[in-house]
Amino acid sequence: MVNVEDLRKEAKRILKEGKVKYVIGYERGQNGLMPKPAFIKDPEDVDRLIWNPTCVHNLTKFLVDEKKRKAGEKKPDERPVGIVVKGCDSRAIIVLLQEKYINREDVHILGISCEQTGVIDEKKLANKLKGKKAENIELDEKGNFVISVQGGTIKVPAEELLAERCLECRANYPVVYDLLLGDKTKKKVEEPFKSLEKMESLSEKERWAFWTEQLAKCIRCYACRSVCPMCYCDECVVDTINFAVTADTTASEKAGKIKWVEKSPVPSENFVYHMVRAMHLAGRCIDCGECERVCPLDIPLRFLNKKLEKEAKELFGYDAGFDPDEPSLVSSFKDEDPEDFIR
Amino acid sequence: MAEQFEPRIVAFLCKWCSSAGSDLAGVSRMQYPPNVIPITVMCSGSVSPLYIFDAFNKGADGVLVSGCHPGDCHYIKGNYYARRRIAIVKKLLDFIGLEPERFQMSWVSAAEGKKYTQIISDFVEELKPLGPQTKLRRNI
Repeated sequence: MVNVEDLRKEAKRILKEGKVKYVIGYERGQNGLMPKPAFIKDPEDVDRLIWNPTCVHNLTKFLVDEKKRKAGEKKPDERPVGIVVKGCDSRAIIVLLQEKYINREDVHILGISCEQTGVIDEKKLANKLKGKKAENIELDEKGNFVISVQGGTIKVPAEELLAERCLECRANYPVVYDLLLGDKTKKKVEEPFKSLEKMESLSEKERWAFWTEQLAKCIRCYACRSVCPMCYCDECVVDTINFAVTADTTASEKAGKIKWVEKSPVPSENFVYHMVRAMHLAGRCIDCGECERVCPLDIPLRFLNKKLEKEAKELFGYDAGFDPDEPSLVSSFKDEDPEDFIR
Repeated sequence: MAEQFEPRIVAFLCKWCSSAGSDLAGVSRMQYPPNVIPITVMCSGSVSPLYIFDAFNKGADGVLVSGCHPGDCHYIKGNYYARRRIAIVKKLLDFIGLEPERFQMSWVSAAEGKKYTQIISDFVEELKPLGPQTKLRRNI
């Protein structure tokens, strides 16, 4: 079992000793059950830190923000940042390390094992609650979530409340850490790509109909891009602005300002945006499910990334986020890569 | 008589092999369908997936990426990177629901003018029954 006191103790220690600038973790949100990210600078505040199955956020995005902030400072504080990570989040750190975006000494990792469960899905929870307000959620020893609501408790089997990605998780404990809380036993997942099966069994026409319906909803708020720890480019390809070409515009200026995608949220442009995003995350996405969680229109974005994760595994035997020394998927090749599709 | 549908193919040809191959087909006066719009790139490995999506977005009925045979790349290993990347793009386009025939990759060397004409003729024949590509075409 994970004891949150151990986490607080360690956070207090590293803050007191001045080993880290601050600790990023989870704290109780103002709005009932769901937590919010906490940034703790003062060792006295560590009691704010919590850990429970509602801690869904992938906090590694803040490491990317930290790096960008540091780049703008004249005399940056070179100390590392403490961060609370789950198994999936730790894989995001591995990918950032692999790409040399951050260094290992920039981060002090407080890893927490999800043990045999994972985190909950807010939408599934809302369905179970039927309008009631949850106050607390705990896992009992039989593998059920016990939700305390006003005037009683609701008991729900874990599988019915866990996020889809947790049911298919292949790293339920952190891969990289400075401190590990909880068990390091591997969760048995027989079908890591089960959620894709239904999609793949559809015909080409049905798949097209499905994606047109889903991506037509997209309002291009770019929440999926903002929340993704892998989307760290300073300039995004879909952010190209209208560019006035005059007689003295140089060729290199024109070449650098190509407008690949229109900003209008129409299906044809949404397709380009989401396909580009999927391609950019191929072999990098670690399936933290944040893009899907933050999508205000409930577009199942995870499928796109999961599909490419599956192909990377099946075609090239590549697993993202396990080994920081491995070359990335598209910057490496093997002689025996499949080429049966090439004429 | 109703006019027959003539597909438009955008072909990204690498400068060192496939483009020279198409050149050979031209100077040898080999007959092949005029449906292809060749774009010479420095290497098949330099073809970004965005070029492919953009070609479809601008109304291409089919896209072909062609490079040197494995081991023949002018830049030693560009076509190996391309092979991996294009395999993923192909899977993605298929997953989205685009007809898989619309996107092809081939190896054409500078001596294979004949093969190049064959690939283009086959590609055109495959695209004709599919009709125009409207799925990813820009529609604003």
